[in-house]
Amino acid sequence: MLAAYVSGGAFVLAFIFGAVANKTNFCTMGAVSDWVNMGDTSRMRMWLLAIGVAIIGASALELAGLVDLSKSIYPSPNFTWLSYLVGGFLFGVGMTLGSGCGSKTLIRVGTGNLKSLVVYVFLGIAAYMTLRGLFGAFRVGVLEKAAITLPAGQDLPSLLHFWLGLSRGTWTAVLSSLIGGALIAFAYASRQFRSSFDYTLGGVVTGLVVVGGWVVSGVIGHVEEHPETLQEAFIATNTGRMESFSFVAPLAFTLEYLMLWTDKSRIITYGVAGAAGVIAGSAAYALATRSFRWEGFRDAEDTANHIVGGLLMGFGGITALGCTIGQGISGFSTLALGSIMTFGAIVAGSAATMKYQYWRLSG
Amino acid sequence: MNFDQELDARGLNCPLPILRAKKALTGMQSGQVLKILATDPGSLKDFQAFSRQTGNELLAHAEANREFTFFMKRK
Repeated sequence: MLAAYVSGGAFVLAFIFGAVANKTNFCTMGAVSDWVNMGDTSRMRMWLLAIGVAIIGASALELAGLVDLSKSIYPSPNFTWLSYLVGGFLFGVGMTLGSGCGSKTLIRVGTGNLKSLVVYVFLGIAAYMTLRGLFGAFRVGVLEKAAITLPAGQDLPSLLHFWLGLSRGTWTAVLSSLIGGALIAFAYASRQFRSSFDYTLGGVVTGLVVVGGWVVSGVIGHVEEHPETLQEAFIATNTGRMESFSFVAPLAFTLEYLMLWTDKSRIITYGVAGAAGVIAGSAAYALATRSFRWEGFRDAEDTANHIVGGLLMGFGGITALGCTIGQGISGFSTLALGSIMTFGAIVAGSAATMKYQYWRLSG
Repeated sequence: MNFDQELDARGLNCPLPILRAKKALTGMQSGQVLKILATDPGSLKDFQAFSRQTGNELLAHAEANREFTFFMKRK
């Protein structure tokens, strides 16, 4: 029953995100494109606003004693810096070739884009191969060898607590106010950003959805002592840890769930419900506004770009422990160094790909 | 509406329509008009922002049969 509340809660929050992201044109790849190709930072500010809201919300939950962010995958002391850089960069390349990141892929599927459905399948397969298959051997055997074991969790409050003293809670309050506040202030410093309510709507709702995601997994789905294992558990998660939204591994787990449907031990997890929720929310908005339209591939090059994009996002997203939402907002909200590094690597990979595409047109 | 060059960006998604339009405008002279055909649902917002940011005037736009048509004047 608890599992149903968790997956149901994830679905509802993701539904809201899907509908609002569709309405407001929230798109992390679009944010990079607008910035790099035309100097418009409004959608980048929308993404940063979402991060700021998520940081302040997640920290408030932790300071109130409702969740413990160190129970998520992001603030591990194992700082796999090369994985964050390579995975993030390749994810950025992939999302540019594939018409958007993992969440945008789901949003586009909801609006009738069959190209994004193909991206979904290739992303999911590559993600699964990176979790447990051929690519996983390279990830673990090569990339994850480049790691630093930090003396504390890799989140900034834990590190500063270790190095400078003061309590972790004090650092959480100070850093979340400063970093979250600065990101929100930066977003609203632009007159263009303030002129359209859609930017505020997209940024705030996305940030709050991630905060709500922590509540669903970390409060509703948290069991101090599971009756079967007698250990702490986060119900209906694929990682066994506290989760908020991410859109790479859940796409792989959705394919796995569909392929192993008759295995009754499997349940609809938080991540699977979240991925379905985004598609449903986007589709509901598209149908309500009569903007649903079927889209297909233009030609062989377009097809190849989307297949490669999906593969790179699947590999990169698992390697870097998340996507533009998973590391870029959920992970960032824990103030983990790896999340911040991945965010930068994704933006760099996407921007570099756009520069290459433009150079190729000129050649 | 009269135009000097046409760009077919149908079937392409962000960021390619913007990149191709940017490239096409670079090769045109000031005052010339580029007609752009596109199908990406985000095209309208993208080209409005592109026009605002770059100063290339969006003279007109229309949507028919799930296709967008834009006329953009090179600044």
